[in-house]
Amino acid sequence: MLNKDVKTINVGIADIQGGQSPSMIRTTLGSCIGVVFYSPEKKVGAMAHIMLAKDPSGKDSAKNPHKYADTALPELVKRMTELGCSKGEYYARLFGGASMFKGMNSSFLQNIGDLNVSVAKEFLDKEKITLLVEDVGGHEGRTISLYLDDGRILLKKGGFEKYLYKVR
Amino acid sequence: MKEKIDQLFENEAQLPKISSVVSKVMEMAGKPDVVIADLAKEISKDPGLTAAVIKLSNSAYFRPAKPVKTVQESLMTLGIKTVQEIILLNETKGILKKELKGYQVDGESNWIHSLIVAELAKRIAVQKKLKVDKDVVFTAGLLHNIGKVILADFFPTILMQFRTELQTYQGPYTDLEAKFFGYTHQEAGAKLLAKWNFPEELIEVARYYTEPEKATQFPELVSTIHIANCIVILGGMGIDIGGLKIPLSSKALQNVGVTEGDLQMYYTLLPEMAKHIEELISV
Repeated sequence: MLNKDVKTINVGIADIQGGQSPSMIRTTLGSCIGVVFYSPEKKVGAMAHIMLAKDPSGKDSAKNPHKYADTALPELVKRMTELGCSKGEYYARLFGGASMFKGMNSSFLQNIGDLNVSVAKEFLDKEKITLLVEDVGGHEGRTISLYLDDGRILLKKGGFEKYLYKVR
Repeated sequence: MKEKIDQLFENEAQLPKISSVVSKVMEMAGKPDVVIADLAKEISKDPGLTAAVIKLSNSAYFRPAKPVKTVQESLMTLGIKTVQEIILLNETKGILKKELKGYQVDGESNWIHSLIVAELAKRIAVQKKLKVDKDVVFTAGLLHNIGKVILADFFPTILMQFRTELQTYQGPYTDLEAKFFGYTHQEAGAKLLAKWNFPEELIEVARYYTEPEKATQFPELVSTIHIANCIVILGGMGIDIGGLKIPLSSKALQNVGVTEGDLQMYYTLLPEMAKHIEELISV
C-alpha cells in the first residue's frame, strides 16, 4: 500500500485540488470542511478545503471563491468535469467542521463548523450528489488523505487513524 | 520520564542549538546604542548567514525599496529589528521544520504553522495598536511552541498509552503532557529559550501561550500569540495530536481588545497570509 511513486497533492486552506490515480490528495482541517468527490470508475477525484459557509462581507467571494461553500462547491463540480467526470459518476464524502470554541460567547466562531457542514449537505442534496461517508463536528482536527488508486481515505484524528473504503 | 528530560537539559550537547554568531547578534541588536557597521561585521563572520540575510531581504515578503546587495544595506534599508527577525527565521528553520512525529505534525506543517502564527500575531498587534514591539511579536510567534521539538523525541515509548488516555480525557491537552513527561511542551520551550539566553518576553510567551491568564509580565504579548495560535489551529494549520483542545481564552481577547468581528476577519485572512509567507517557506 505504501508506494513511493504516489505523488502527494496538498490542498491548502481555501483551495481546491484534483488528480488521478495513483496520486494522493491531502489536507488538514479544523473548523473548515473538506469535501471529497471521487469516481471509482475513472479513478479521479477532487478535494475542496472550505473555510466558511458564506462570504460575510459579500465582497470577498468574487476574488476568493474557494473560501466559501456556496462558491467553492460549484467550482469543485467544475473540477470533476475537467477531469472527465459527469455528475452521477462520482460520490461525495465530507469531513471536518470541528468547533474549538464551546462555551464561548461568539456565535460566529461557535457555529463555523456546523454551518459549513449544513451548507455543504444542502448543496449535495440539491445537486443530487450522493453523500457516502461523513466524519464531522466534535472538537478535534482531522487530516484526510484521498488515495486515488482505489478511493480509500485515511482519516487521522485525535492520535488515531483509520481507513475508510466506501467509495460507491 | 522527567529525569530523562532533565538530563537532556543538563547535557546541552543534545539540545537544539543556535550558533554563537546568532546569539552575539541578538545580544548586540538588543542594545540601544548598537552601531550598524559593527552588527554588519558580526553577521558577515558567517557566510551562510550573510547569504541568507541578503536573499531573504530581497524576498517579496520583506519588499525592500531597492535591491539589497550587502548586509550593511540590508540593515539600513529594512532596519535592525527586521534583520534580526530574518536571522532568527533562518536559524530556527532547521529546528522548527523538524517532523514532530509524536504530535503527528510533519515538518513542513509545523514550519508553516510557526510562520503564520508569527505573521498573524504581528497583524493583530498592528491593528490593535498594541504597545509591544512589532518585531518581538513576530519572533515570539515563530518560537511559541518550540518545546514540542523537545518532547516529540520522547513520545515513542508512551504513545499507545497517551493516545488511549487522550480519547476519554476531558481536561486541557497539556495536562497529559505533564502527566506522561513530567513537563508540558510550554515548560520545555521556556527552558530551552532560557538556555539560549533569549529575552524574557519570548520565554513568557513560550511558557504561557496556551494559558494567557497566567502571564504576569507581558500579558498583552502572550495574549496576542495565544489568539493567533488558536485561529491558525482553527484553520487547520499545524493541528497536532491534541486536535482543537486549546480553548480560546476570553481573558486574552479582553487583554488585546479583540472583538468577535476581529476574530472573523483574522480567520478569513488566513489564506492571504499563507500566500504572503510562501516565499519565506521556500527559502
